This record gives sequence, C-alpha cells and structure tokens, in this order.
Amino acid sequence: MEKDRSLLKIPYGTRDFLPAEAAGKRVVETRLAELFAQWGYEEVVTPSIEYLDTLSLGGNRGIGNHLFKLFDKENKTVALRHEMTTPIARLVSTRLQDSPLPLKLSYISSVFRYEQAQAGRQCEFYQAGVELMGPGSPATDAEVVALAVSGLLRSGLTEFTVCLGQVEFLNGILNQYRLSEQEQADLKAAMERRNLVELNQLVEQLQLPENAKQVLKKLPLLNGGEELLKSAYDIALNEQSRRALDNLAEIYRLLKAYKVEQYVRFDLGIIRDFSYYTGMVFEVYAPGLGYPLCGGGRYDHLLADFGTACPATGFALGIERILLAIERQKLPMHSLPRDVYVGYAAGKETEAIEKAAQLREQGKSVELAVNSQTETAAKESQQQKNYAAFVYIS
Amino acid sequence: MKSEMEYLTIALPKGKLFGLSARLLEKIGYTAEGLSDKSRKLIISNEEKKIRFIVSKTADVPTYVEYGAADIGVIGKDVLLETEKDVYELLDMGFGKCHLMMAVPKAEKRAKLMDYNHTRVATKFPHIAEKFFRQQGMQMEYIKLNGSIELGPIVGLSESIVDIVETGTTLRENDLEEIVSIQEATARLIANRVSFKLKFDRIHSLVEDLRKVLEAEAAQ
Repeated sequence: MEKDRSLLKIPYGTRDFLPAEAAGKRVVETRLAELFAQWGYEEVVTPSIEYLDTLSLGGNRGIGNHLFKLFDKENKTVALRHEMTTPIARLVSTRLQDSPLPLKLSYISSVFRYEQAQAGRQCEFYQAGVELMGPGSPATDAEVVALAVSGLLRSGLTEFTVCLGQVEFLNGILNQYRLSEQEQADLKAAMERRNLVELNQLVEQLQLPENAKQVLKKLPLLNGGEELLKSAYDIALNEQSRRALDNLAEIYRLLKAYKVEQYVRFDLGIIRDFSYYTGMVFEVYAPGLGYPLCGGGRYDHLLADFGTACPATGFALGIERILLAIERQKLPMHSLPRDVYVGYAAGKETEAIEKAAQLREQGKSVELAVNSQTETAAKESQQQKNYAAFVYIS
Repeated sequence: MKSEMEYLTIALPKGKLFGLSARLLEKIGYTAEGLSDKSRKLIISNEEKKIRFIVSKTADVPTYVEYGAADIGVIGKDVLLETEKDVYELLDMGFGKCHLMMAVPKAEKRAKLMDYNHTRVATKFPHIAEKFFRQQGMQMEYIKLNGSIELGPIVGLSESIVDIVETGTTLRENDLEEIVSIQEATARLIANRVSFKLKFDRIHSLVEDLRKVLEAEAAQ
C-alpha cells in the first residue's frame, strides 16, 4: 500500500522548530522572561482558546475573518487567540479586578491568525509582551516603551528604530476640520491601507480650504526626531491634538531618563491595525525585516468592555521576527551551551553515570554516551556533537 | 546591515512602464550606468549615489517591495490591485494610463450586465474581477489566462473578458465591445512598509522631487 503523503505535511502557516531553531527561540524567551521579571512584571498564562465573542469585543470587531474558529460541545463558537491583550484584559476584569493597581503582567505565548504565510509571518506565531494596568500616565507609557527597547537589546539586536505616535493627535486633526464620521473613517481607512494616493484623492474631494487639505495630506508623512514634535504644534489647532503632543513630549523626556531616546523617532501618522488603541502607540522596525518586530500602545477602553474600566498600556514582541532579524543582520545566532561529552570504556558504565551526575550538579550540560566506546570513537562523538569538553572514563 | 541601510533599492518593471519610470527618476538624479530593461544584468548599481535598481517582471515588482528586497518600486495600479500586497502607495505617477473593463463579443451582446451572471469570464485579473462582480451581486466562473485574453470569447472559452485597455484598438480588431468600466489605472510609486519608516527622509524627498517634476510636466 502506498503511504499517504499528506500525513507528512503540516497545516498551512505552521512550522516546526528544529533543535538549532528551537534553541534560538528558547534563549530569546528565557532572556525576555528574566527581563520582564526584573522589571516587576508577573507572568500569566491564559487558555489558547477563548469564546469568539470575547475575542471580537469592542475594538476587535472585524477580526472574525482572521480567527481560527471551532465549536465546543455546546456548539458555541470558540477561537484560537489572535493576540494576548484581549485575553489578559478579560482575565484582569474578571479575575483580578480587586487587585491593587498598578498591575504589571507579562506573557510568552503562541497566538494564531490567518495570514498569507511567509517567513516571520506564520499563522501560528510566538509573542512575548507585557500589559500595564493602572494610571494612564506618561510614566507608564514610557516604561513599556523602554522595556520593549531593553527586550530587543537583551535579545541580541542592536539596530532598530522605535516609531512613536499618538492616535489622539490624528483624531484631533480630523475633528478640527469638522469632518463627518464617514469622512473620518474613509481617511483613516486609506491611511490604514497605507494608500497615500487614495488619501490625497479623498482629501481633494473635501470642502476645505487649501491649507487644511495640505495638513491632511501630510499626516502620514509626519516622521522625524524631536524637532518634528515641536513643528507639529503648528498644525495642531485643537486641544485634543495639543494634549497628545504634550503627552508624547513628556513620554520622550522620560525615555531620555531611561537612556533609550537614540532608538526613538516620532511618527504621528502611525496607524496600528487594532482599533482599540486610545493614546500613545508604537512600532519597532529593523533593517532586513519587511514588517514590524514589535507593536504596542495605550488602550484605555478595552477593560471597560469587559466591565472593569481601567487604563492600560503594553506591547508584544514577535519572537520569530527577532530571530529572523538576528539572522538577516548576520548577528551571532543564539545557541544553548553544550559543555561536556562523557564517554566510557566497556564495564565503566557506573563510574560514567556518577561522573555525569557530578558535572551536571556543577551546572554543566552533559551528554553521556549511550554505550561504551573506545577513546578515539568517543572523541569523535564529542566533536561531531559540538561539545566543548571531553571526559573519558577508562 | 549598515551598508544595506545606505542603499536605496528600486524595483522597476520590464516593458512599457520601464522607460517612462527610468526617464522620470533620471530627472531627479536617480539613475545608473547601463540601466535598461534589455540589460542581462538583473541588478544595476550606482555606487556613488548608493542606488540599486532591480529590473523584474511586472507582476513581481510588488512582491520584491512587500518582502523588502526592494525599498521602493514602480508598478501599475492594475497589478497592485490584483496582487493585494501590503505596501505603501506613495504617488500617482500619471503615466501608463489604462483602464480595466469588461468586454463581450459585439454580435452576442446581452441587454443587462446581470444577464452575464453565472457565465465564464476570461481574465488576467481574477481577484479584481471577482471583487467587482461580487459587488454587483454576480457569481462568475473565472478563467485565468496569461495573455491574449481577447481570444477567450472567440474560441468559445468564455462569454466575456475582463482586461486592461489603453486605446481600444485590440478590442475593435477582435469585434469585442466594452460594456462596463471597472477601474482606472496609472503607474504608482510603492514602498516597503519598513523601508518607508527606516529610510523615511530619503524616500520622502524622492517623492517630493518626483511630485515637483510631475507637476511641472502637467503644467506644460
């Protein structure tokens, strides 16, 4: 009978991690877990599946098409989580609502989304991130941005740029010209699709003075350093946008205290794919990677959707994307230590087991031969398996 | 990686858009020795100005840009719509004007568009066609062809075609008649979403320079 070849495939958009790849993933995850703990963030774990209604609440409407859905025993639709912010918001509102604020939580999990699969963009992917629930202050926003930068540095990356924006700046500008809800939605949709040609066409159709049109057309192009923030006050003729700029200026002042300002640029036209963001938003880009490494921001209303109003901010780092950026930037690849290979002559099994135990006790990673070998054969095994040291019991 | 950041890589499509794009880019100082779509070299560099050109098959330009193998590229809106890539669309370059339309054999023209529901349509643009017919509440059978689309109805492969038209000569020569226009298309400047952020200053000034040249030409 011919073997069914389809059994050997794995589903679309998923991948295996072979030992070297899994080691790289493990190293990055371990370093991030340590870092989050050092910053006082406690890890939480939530189920891989949630009710569809939970995941598509509030700002998440429209995510349905990107979810992996299935039915539970009662025929309710459940879905694999597509990100961790919503499950954690649910967890905080229903299980930790009486905990003293601020709450600082972290996670390292796989999430699932239907995507057109390509390297670093699978349907199942791994994210590490934090959520900070508590005062909606610039201090909390600055902390999560600084922690994201530290996380990337700790992961081994050196070259990357954080683009920092504020959704209220954009909303304020759209409001200042008294645009209707539909007009605002159309302009935002064009920006979200990164279609500046369409944005220009839409703006041209609006009944607005020429200088107002110029401002709207420029929105996606407000990208630059500290000086950009200052010049943005000239076009922000409303309280909402000015407050957003004040907020960014204060976050930036604190980022200087964290000594990470050299990684930060302002991008006032930034639009994040999830519409639940309400304040500061950011994305991190690295050369060699065609999509962001990390994204995050403030989402003050999401918890209220679950019944416990509380401001919140956070970010998610893409683990595979970090690994891919390390590879593409030709930085040293992460691997786990392989310290000692223990080989032994015939009849020396007991001594070899004892020796291996002793070395492991000292914190070394030790591979014990599975059968007796000559010293030459054992030496060969050590080299083949890339162990740093060699012990032979004869 | 440092050197990668210094260069700006531009993907240009072979064929009719190539000459127009290259000429326009040259006007703003973006050119390289031996830049031609007939060149056997696939990458043409200008070391002094840190520019690299990739000359590729038309339909591949959005792919190069989406993956970041090229930072920016020039491509027709028709191809861009068909491939649905996640890229920045920065500038309407004005040239390469054409439109996507549905045409049927003149002799067998039916009264309403709806009369073509559940018929076969031959096209190089199945995505755009499907989106269009879905909006009309129509279900069609799409037959993907890679060239000589007009042949479809003539040999009885399909009842209609969806294709791009510049002058309409080919349609007339094949006794086909346009019955509905779907989309206007011109050449667009596109950018990789990360390159646009990381090389913002350079790409932004390139766009502004191009815009000025285009406006000056339009004014003439």
